[in-house]
Amino acid sequence: MPLTPLTRPLTAEDAAHFLRRTAFGATDEQIRALVGQKAQDVARAALAFDQSVAPGNPFDPMQGATPGAALQLGRGAWLYELAYGPHPLREKLALTWSNHFVIATDKVRNVPAVVDYLNLLRRHAATRSFERFTLEVAQSPAMLRYLDNDQNRKGKPNENFSRELLELFTTGIGPYTENDVREGARALTGWSYQGGRGNKQYLEQPRFMYQPQQHDDGKKTYLGQSGALKGEDIVRIATSQPATATFVSRKLHRAFLADTPDDAAIRSSAETWTRTKGDVMAVLTELLASEAFYASRSRIIRSPIEFLVGGIRTLGQPKIDARSLLNLAGTAGRMGQVLLEPDTVKGWDGGREWINDTTLLLRMQVAAALTMGSKAPNLDTPPSLLALTGQERPAGAVLLSSLKGRQRTYLSLISPEFQLA
Amino acid sequence: MTNRRDFLKLSALAVAATSGMPGFLARAATQAGGTKTLVVVQLTGGNDGLNTLIPYSNGAYYAARPNIAIPKKDVLTVTPDLGMHPALRPLMKLWDDGHLAWMENVGYPNPNRSHFASMAIWHTADPAQAQADGWIGRIAEKIGDPFCASNLGAATPQALQASEFSLPSIDSVDNFQLKLPGGMETPFQSLLNSPRSGEAAYLTRATRQMLKNTARVQENVRKYKAGATYPDTKFASQLRDAARLIAAGVGQRVIYVSLGGFDTHAGQRAEQDGLLGTLAGGLSAFQADLERQGLAKDVIVMGFSEFGRRVAENGSAGTDHGKGSVMFAFGQGVKGGVHGSSPDLEDLSEGDIKYRQDFRGVYAEALTRWLNLDARGILGGTFTGPRWIA
Repeated sequence: MPLTPLTRPLTAEDAAHFLRRTAFGATDEQIRALVGQKAQDVARAALAFDQSVAPGNPFDPMQGATPGAALQLGRGAWLYELAYGPHPLREKLALTWSNHFVIATDKVRNVPAVVDYLNLLRRHAATRSFERFTLEVAQSPAMLRYLDNDQNRKGKPNENFSRELLELFTTGIGPYTENDVREGARALTGWSYQGGRGNKQYLEQPRFMYQPQQHDDGKKTYLGQSGALKGEDIVRIATSQPATATFVSRKLHRAFLADTPDDAAIRSSAETWTRTKGDVMAVLTELLASEAFYASRSRIIRSPIEFLVGGIRTLGQPKIDARSLLNLAGTAGRMGQVLLEPDTVKGWDGGREWINDTTLLLRMQVAAALTMGSKAPNLDTPPSLLALTGQERPAGAVLLSSLKGRQRTYLSLISPEFQLA
Repeated sequence: MTNRRDFLKLSALAVAATSGMPGFLARAATQAGGTKTLVVVQLTGGNDGLNTLIPYSNGAYYAARPNIAIPKKDVLTVTPDLGMHPALRPLMKLWDDGHLAWMENVGYPNPNRSHFASMAIWHTADPAQAQADGWIGRIAEKIGDPFCASNLGAATPQALQASEFSLPSIDSVDNFQLKLPGGMETPFQSLLNSPRSGEAAYLTRATRQMLKNTARVQENVRKYKAGATYPDTKFASQLRDAARLIAAGVGQRVIYVSLGGFDTHAGQRAEQDGLLGTLAGGLSAFQADLERQGLAKDVIVMGFSEFGRRVAENGSAGTDHGKGSVMFAFGQGVKGGVHGSSPDLEDLSEGDIKYRQDFRGVYAEALTRWLNLDARGILGGTFTGPRWIA
């Protein structure tokens, strides 16, 4: 059964909710523009993004003097796009995928590899084919390096990518054995890349390369299928498992519905996934116009990046100088979310794990910088409580309404309501 | 800047926060009174135990690792069979003094080679993976104090998850304080007092606990002055913060510190050698500091990793995920020596060292004989292991 679509025209709270989940938040004007519209039209319009980017991005990672500096600039560039770009849903999806197909810049130090990888996530943000997406990820120099498949050779298998392909990228733990991991690794031998190796070549473009002499072309048995399987076969078999439909649908529900998503709703999305052979665009179109989506309020704890970008977008995208933006990207790291560098290949668990004493203190400092600092925007006409909290009458509404613009905005940004989406 | 009076005002507010957990604080007062501290060190990524405590007399070790074995001449000999990695030299004094213990072939039944599944098993002390809360979270619930254990670092590991609350993570003790802009104290308190449900209620509770914790730390940490020079690493600075918290006497029974990067699938020697150096440098400074502070008799350190690595090296001069591995512990309260036999490299499980000692037995020793707690209740069963507490 597909998810039941929402039939009522969007209310103000519906519109605010949609934008908090799909655009990190929005101004009152952007919320008003959606009121009265049909949920399906709103979802389709938000998903109809192209690959255009924010003009005037002050950061170019290719200008970095060292690998470390270049990667810092890359994080700044992404934060700029997240905060000021024309397609926040594309960026939200890219962020979600960066936490699914994890790579990390502490190991992948080549700048074009990382830049290409992020653009790959953007291109496939609402992909029509999860299999195609996975194949391109598997053959990207960033992933080949990160999970060592570039070292996976005939007679000298390296299981790292083969294992995570199943455990983290497709089926999840359960439907496979250690033997499948080994056999998959054999089939994936020979996939490597050339160029861009070593610290000095950090700006050189690496390219995928198939090395037939390193490929083990013997017979393998993988998830019940036998033959002289190749890497492409492994990706096809893994992505077409029924467990993959459920496992990846759950990730989408975690990103858009709730930190603790509902199993029945996930099953509906998994059915659509299976019916459409992994058409993520179809799954998202249904999901983002569903009753379940609109009923699920305040059930996601915003990640550090969502908190920061949400603050900037809700305040109407005030101009922030390049140095401060870089600092904010660093602050997101101290709050537990370094862009393109999750602590482990599993990615950030998120939800309540974003919250502890230190991160709460940092969120309060960021809120103060955005509203009280010397470079804070003019807040004489502050965002409404609806824009800030997603609710017309949030907890503490009377108190908040009695405060002046700056103080009201500061307190709203540190309220439990603003930490949620 | 918020002054001390403001802190007290805010911490008074925080007392009301605990009304959601009836009886919680009352139990705290009676049971939290121990003076011993356990510092847990997590080596994230799967530390290669065979290149940590090296079976240097075993030809099978050198045969399996033509490129990455530690040459016999470099090993720091501790027994006729075993020796420490040369990067661990700063810990040799502890060994010579009889205060450094190695636990050999530690693991659990039906080993899991997934980082996350295996780490979750060590964190929850449950190989069936049915528990959501962590073993240290359960310690805190037993003691009844949501500040008796904390993590040093940005994200709270599952080991410190409790069902009713989240134990604190402290990224830096210096920054562990609240600075509200002037005039915002009262509105902030009122905002927190508004009734909420669901995740909003959770966040309110977490904020109140944070106010209480920061006040407690800041009132006490000024007592501390470092008694040793720590290396310039993040790991060492977290250990220095651990020493500060212990010296401050804010009631920390368990402190959790992590060092990551041990997933050495390729080019292992360069990576693991450096990490073990960071580990030993930080830990030896920490121990020296505690000795200068006169706290060494009350603190022990216990280290683990989620699994060891494959006995045979792979084609990338690295090692893949394995099973059994070594744990270590040190401190004046620790009975030094190698607990357990040298790994049997002739009798492997899918190319990995078989586990012969259950890690829950190692935990149990720390719980019962160091922290004086009921291990059975915390671990969900009776586990015996090496007697590594002196």
